Amino acid sequence: MKSLERFGYPVFFVVIAILPFLLDPRWQAVAITFLIFAVVALSQDIILGKAGMFNMGQALFFGMGAYLTAILNAKFGWPMLATIPVAILIPALMGILLAGPIVHLRGDYLLVVTIGFNIVFVQVVQNNLGGVTGGPNGIFGLDAMNLFGIKLASQVSVYYFAFAVLLLTLGIMANLEKSKAGRALHYLREDPLAAESIGINTRVYKIFAFGLGAGIAGLAGTVYATQYAAVSPEAFEFIQSVLFFSIVLVGGSSIPGVLLGVFVMFVLPEIFREFATWRFFIFGFAMILAMVLRPRGIWPATFGKIPKFLIKESNHGA
Amino acid sequence: MAPNNLVLTNVTKRFGGLTAVDELNMTVEEGQIYGVIGPNGAGKTTVFNCITGIYQSEEGSVKWRGEEIRGLTPYKIVDRGIVRTFQTIRLFGQMSVAENIMSGRHIKSQQSWWHGIVPTPGSRRDELENWQKVQEQLEFFNLGEFAATPTNSLPYGIQRRVEMARAMAVDPTLLILDEPAAGLNDKETLALLETIFQIRDKGVTVLLIEHDMDLVMQVTDYLTVINFGKKIAEGTPDEIQKDPAVIEAYLGSEDDDDE
Repeated sequence: MKSLERFGYPVFFVVIAILPFLLDPRWQAVAITFLIFAVVALSQDIILGKAGMFNMGQALFFGMGAYLTAILNAKFGWPMLATIPVAILIPALMGILLAGPIVHLRGDYLLVVTIGFNIVFVQVVQNNLGGVTGGPNGIFGLDAMNLFGIKLASQVSVYYFAFAVLLLTLGIMANLEKSKAGRALHYLREDPLAAESIGINTRVYKIFAFGLGAGIAGLAGTVYATQYAAVSPEAFEFIQSVLFFSIVLVGGSSIPGVLLGVFVMFVLPEIFREFATWRFFIFGFAMILAMVLRPRGIWPATFGKIPKFLIKESNHGA
Repeated sequence: MAPNNLVLTNVTKRFGGLTAVDELNMTVEEGQIYGVIGPNGAGKTTVFNCITGIYQSEEGSVKWRGEEIRGLTPYKIVDRGIVRTFQTIRLFGQMSVAENIMSGRHIKSQQSWWHGIVPTPGSRRDELENWQKVQEQLEFFNLGEFAATPTNSLPYGIQRRVEMARAMAVDPTLLILDEPAAGLNDKETLALLETIFQIRDKGVTVLLIEHDMDLVMQVTDYLTVINFGKKIAEGTPDEIQKDPAVIEAYLGSEDDDDE
């Protein structure tokens, strides 16, 4: 799988880079959403895959980023670009605040609490809190993103913006793997007590995972708002969180796994749209099969990212 | 600077109506290999859990270098130089031996949380330095060939060594070993004995629980014997072997097991 990764990444990036020129507008839209969902799923992977916390509310942070961009642009007249830092920082802060009191909860309890958060968020925006969220219709008519003189008016330009955000996210993920903070997340997922007993403040790193995951999801929200020039509550329902959760489970907690997961869980249903609701019947079974046959995901997390000088000749596998 | 002594005074830990540790006093001095022995269920592991912050004792005090550490969280106690291993090995099973040992470097690493997002030349250097420390431990514990192997696929004896290597990676002042010889064969036990002496020679104080009486008598400088959470004797191995209370409570019970 290692060699597959080395070969696969360049191919993947080249395909993604030229993809808009091969697709008609409808499929370009699907491709943009694929990139956005990939970013959200990667952010979910930090919380669920790496740190092992059953977060079932990732759509909350995704939606918060999208709504912040929409509100600041439509109601307060901020340029789209200026909303980006806010759409990262506020969800990250929210992630930290919400996670603070709940990270000590065991998996299933945490899951229920995060579902609650998600539902509260959707209710709040549906009921037009403070008169800025637009109620059930949401907010539309957002400006086009103006990236230092380049106006993202066409779908193709939005595509490349989304691609850049995905690359940034992949960069963060790659760096996380090679840092103390990223390893701490793996340790606390594998055995919290052992992690604590070897000197890791598990609570701080759990909250860190939530904050980082929420910030990245918030950024993805901005891209989403840019794509549709609109936001509406149903895009951030609890069921959307379920999608991100299952992407990580089915795909596996690795970058290829998550990307495959997004493809299988989002793009394939789009491709088989003509089969109408029957496709979900098939999908249900495909998910069951995937989990039974590959309980750790299609492309499970690979560890062993250790410096070469540590690996001796008589290597016993890995 | 106070000496690197661990002083337990009247430590009492209760679980509901059961008093697992009852007014225990003991002093571990710098450079010692100190043993805690006692029959099964005597409360030895509970004592260790009280020292390492997994439990907080209801009464008494645990002083390390003159500082009260009772009530501190486990990671804060590690930060003060006290590291432990577990009776039931607790490794990060899916991760490689090198990564497991690297977890011991966590507290020594200079990286901040945000280096996980944005690396700097400093964090890269810090990363490399810590991996080099891991390499030292791999060599010391003779684990080099398993560096990239996930620990859950290794034999029990090697897992024990990995756990000790992980603890030693912290550069501890006091190393606490909970039944380090459990599940080891004779050859491995001998190697362990050698390792414990080497660790002590590095200037690390060792506190251990052990069932293997041969090992305890050979390796320790000083012993505390507990039964039903109470200390029934303390002294050098020679004194303990002659102590009638110990023979009755501990060694005597071994004869019953033999049949």
